[in-house]
Amino acid sequence: MTVAETLLVYAVAPLVLVAIMAALTLRPDPKARRRRYRPGQPWEHEPLWYSPHTATAAAAGHGVDTAAQPHGRTQAIGSSVYGEVGAGDGSGTTHGTTHGATAGATAATSGAPVVGRGGPLGGARGTW
Amino acid sequence: MTRALETTSHDTATEATAPARTDEDVDRPDRVFSYRELARLDEALTMSSRETGLYFTLFVGDLGKRTRAQAEELHASSKADPTDSVLIAVSPGQRVVEVVTGAAAARRLPDRACALAVLSMTSSFASGDLVGGLVNGLRQLSDQAGRPPVRRHH
Repeated sequence: MTVAETLLVYAVAPLVLVAIMAALTLRPDPKARRRRYRPGQPWEHEPLWYSPHTATAAAAGHGVDTAAQPHGRTQAIGSSVYGEVGAGDGSGTTHGTTHGATAGATAATSGAPVVGRGGPLGGARGTW
Repeated sequence: MTRALETTSHDTATEATAPARTDEDVDRPDRVFSYRELARLDEALTMSSRETGLYFTLFVGDLGKRTRAQAEELHASSKADPTDSVLIAVSPGQRVVEVVTGAAAARRLPDRACALAVLSMTSSFASGDLVGGLVNGLRQLSDQAGRPPVRRHH
């Protein structure tokens, strides 16, 4: 092989491949561009309210009490995972949160219960 | 006449009519934060709540003229008994973040700890990183609050 052929096959060809891959993968993401937040610009989106999933946290707390009593409905492995004895449906699992089983992100509507004040409130505030 | 290639909506909207409901992305949850960011927020909220036993909620939106009062109202409506609930309310348009802790939560999260978390959050927000600031703030708050007190049966 001549020198030019060697260079072409072993140097230029891989570089061209790398350049194609780079061009395909390093494109700026149009979604990220659009969404970048900068302080000082107005926030025009609707208010959002995110709440956590706490169903399993409640169920785990009862595990110690209910493990000793055999349940008619539940399988052998699961008794500590399920909630209180005789709690409703045949499945036995408690999905007791009022915020639904979506991804944990719910938009703020007027559906949230307004009960109680929570006592002397604490906290902090900050600005930027 | 509807053009044959107009496939974005399933009804008879054309350029001359108002946008169809399907065009207005009504139900897409990723309008403000991307799915990846939503997953981070979801995980941070859920893990903080589970580890501490407190109820952390997050509000992102406008807080009106009296931001503290509005935040306290939102906190009161976060759950049925908000004494162990912690609300982080951030208003990016007004550049204000309010942390509200219920009475029981405030015993474990004194105002000093909240102020520390707020400080780190505002420095993240100032550089434009909303989600990172919120996730780190939640982590700091849950570290400060520690684990729930263990109840011993005698």
